[in-house]
Amino acid sequence: MRAPPRPWRQIPALAASHLCHEWILTLCLVVALAAVISPLLVLLGLKYGTIQTLRERLVEDPVFREIRPTQTREFAPPWFDEVSSWPGVAFLTPTILPLSSVIHVVPRDGGKNGLFDLIPTAPGDPLLLENGAPVPVEGEAVVTAEAAKRSGCQAGGEMTVRVSRSRGGRSEQVEARLKVVSVLDPRAGSLARVYAPLSFVLDVEAYKEGYGAPGRGWAGQTPDPYASFDGAVLLLSEPLFPIARTGLIINTGFGRIAEMSGETVHELFGFLPPGGFAAYDLSAPGASITTSNLQAVGQKLRGRDRVLLPYVRGIELMLQGQALHPIGLSLDADQGALLQVEPLPWGGSRGNLPQDGRLLQVLAPASQAPAKGGTVAASFTGMEGELAFKLHLSGSTSLARPVVPVELLGILRTATQRKVLFDPNTERFQMARGGYRGFRLYARSIDDVPALYEKLKTQGVEVMAEVEAIERIRTLDRGLSRLFWLISLLSLFGGTSVLVSSLYAAVERRRRDLGVLRLLGFARRHVFFFPVAQGLIISALGLAAGFAGYGILALAINRAFASELAPGEAFCFLPASYIPLFSMATIFLAALASLVAAWRATCIDPAEVIREQ
Amino acid sequence: MAATATPMVSLEGLVKVRSQSESVFELHVPRFAVLPGQMVAVVGESGCGKSTLLDILALVMAPTRVARFQIDPGSGPVCDVAALWQREDEGALARLRRDSFGYVLQTGGLLPFLSVRGNVRLPGRLKGEEIPPERLETLSRRLGVAGCLERMPLSLSIGQRQRVAILRALAHRPRLLLADEPTAAVDQNRARTIMEDMRHLARDEGVAVVVVTHDVDLVMDRADRAYTFATEEIDGQTTRSVCRPLPESSS
Repeated sequence: MRAPPRPWRQIPALAASHLCHEWILTLCLVVALAAVISPLLVLLGLKYGTIQTLRERLVEDPVFREIRPTQTREFAPPWFDEVSSWPGVAFLTPTILPLSSVIHVVPRDGGKNGLFDLIPTAPGDPLLLENGAPVPVEGEAVVTAEAAKRSGCQAGGEMTVRVSRSRGGRSEQVEARLKVVSVLDPRAGSLARVYAPLSFVLDVEAYKEGYGAPGRGWAGQTPDPYASFDGAVLLLSEPLFPIARTGLIINTGFGRIAEMSGETVHELFGFLPPGGFAAYDLSAPGASITTSNLQAVGQKLRGRDRVLLPYVRGIELMLQGQALHPIGLSLDADQGALLQVEPLPWGGSRGNLPQDGRLLQVLAPASQAPAKGGTVAASFTGMEGELAFKLHLSGSTSLARPVVPVELLGILRTATQRKVLFDPNTERFQMARGGYRGFRLYARSIDDVPALYEKLKTQGVEVMAEVEAIERIRTLDRGLSRLFWLISLLSLFGGTSVLVSSLYAAVERRRRDLGVLRLLGFARRHVFFFPVAQGLIISALGLAAGFAGYGILALAINRAFASELAPGEAFCFLPASYIPLFSMATIFLAALASLVAAWRATCIDPAEVIREQ
Repeated sequence: MAATATPMVSLEGLVKVRSQSESVFELHVPRFAVLPGQMVAVVGESGCGKSTLLDILALVMAPTRVARFQIDPGSGPVCDVAALWQREDEGALARLRRDSFGYVLQTGGLLPFLSVRGNVRLPGRLKGEEIPPERLETLSRRLGVAGCLERMPLSLSIGQRQRVAILRALAHRPRLLLADEPTAAVDQNRARTIMEDMRHLARDEGVAVVVVTHDVDLVMDRADRAYTFATEEIDGQTTRSVCRPLPESSS
């Protein structure tokens, strides 16, 4: 039946009863606290609200989050992968040369013919998404308000863009029809711009540079990779005089000429030079040999019985899963006869072999030759990973190793230095594009801009951003924060002093009652909590009143400035997370303030006070 | 009868020295005991040390020296208060007060911020048990304060306050009731009734009562035992007061 003694539970109840009993004093104290808390909350709310409003106005406009390059240079695709992964980068897309991005829009009724800027976009583009436009897909475009005005096109309509170039002195042009999915808010920019997917923009750039876009039916060159060689072997029926040797390589791009032994010739080409033939190694240390170098030497040797064979060393080809070092050799019938080597189906070396099927051939050694006419899977590890292609088996050779056109090895050699792709549909090697000429970057928030700005600068990328506008707000924020802390420090002193003095006075006033409590069986440590409980109750009530006062004031302030604010904006606003924080700090402070009174309460000697009247 | 029962309070060889600026006051209590159900009166002039004795009995003043100071809380072993003071075990002393004591102050000592009912219920709650409403009803009716339970102490007359104080001191069934001049503020007639009530209740409940008063006539025919003080001046500064039983009352 008997419950454990509960002095702890009685203390807060008694403290509350006492406050109730002296309700006028309590009320005054609560009002005094509220009078400290309310203005502080309003100040905090104003600071937060104005800064937030200013920030949101910046944040809302993606322009303030854009970082633009100020110089044109090449950015390799891996650079984009790296930068995209930086924290704070929300959007990054490559762009093209500013000159290449100029297109015409074929005017519709009423529109003027004008130059428009073609800008690439991609999913997630904040400039489009935050200005009320979807990101266009292939065959679509989004135009700025100015572009819509000039061209006369509207959202939902179609536009015809014309891309022109001059090639070989002639002017050429192609047209493409794009669906205009949206017209941007004028805020997004005052220039006449057309936003289209990157693939389209890249094709436009390629077309302007003379290449074709077969997918769009735009004629032009294909970016063929060139063959490059390590050097060339000159085989002559008679040796050269030393002076003629030196003269041979002057102004040809070759840097060195040296005699070559028959073994080395065999090692390179699988055959020994015929008796009496002299072999010379023409090379350019540290450089690549191209067709023009070969042609230059060929000019100087006119009239002699000679064969000039370019070579590539160290190319390892996977042929049907087997790593091989094939012989790269191209000979025409005459050369074959001169060197006493059987002729090759792809003929002689002309430096660059057209990619008409003759390039992708292989002769298997007679000892292991399968039936003629099949294909052999081949792969090669170049600069950008593996290149897989197929070689047509054109027959067999008496040489010990498989033979391929030397131009193929030349292209593969190029692939170790430049990015070369193989298109299995057209069965052609292509130069991949080296990089992009610019980028469009948007930071995740305006706070990320300064850091990204600095990071790009340290990378040596010259950029510009609206760093100043952001910095201005940060400065204001810092200033207001300092002001808030200063004022709250003052208020803190005031509020705490009020609480300390009131609680202390209450203990002094109630000495006898506290003595009676001790007499009734409360220990010192119980009485200690009497003022603490009172401090907590008063601060809780003061907080409630303070928040109520803040609520009314904030409403009044926001009403007063309603004309300056967009819907949803507020000058005086506190985020929900501040409320428990502020409350906890206040209550903690109140508990601290009550400690003096609490200490005083424990000092009361019941024997001294119970007979006081 | 007195010899067989365990004393509720037993005090031997107590000395309390209090010094105030130049003057020194010494209280000597050679032997003091209260049996359960007994009403003990402590009478004397003001300044003789009776309040000091009561404060020591109420465990709110530490004795300077004491040979034996024991309180029997009724349940559990007898408490060695001298040892508790030596250990300065303030918690144990407060517990003893809470569980076994009732205290009536000169002017009631009611908490002004609690209603009469709140005041009366507080010691029980502190002890961890709610006073049964029937008991509260019976006691308050017996003390003539049944109608004032919901009032605030300040709205009561002084006599009513004293009775409420007695009600508060008894309601939670203490073992020892200490009353400090409980009738000082009321007239003779009322003082007699208050004294009478206290005595009867104490006897009915088996509570030991110690009443401190300067009014010898009021308690002499009611108390089971009485103590008084012999005061003598040792020198210019020291006053010695010795507490001894009044032979007239030891029946």
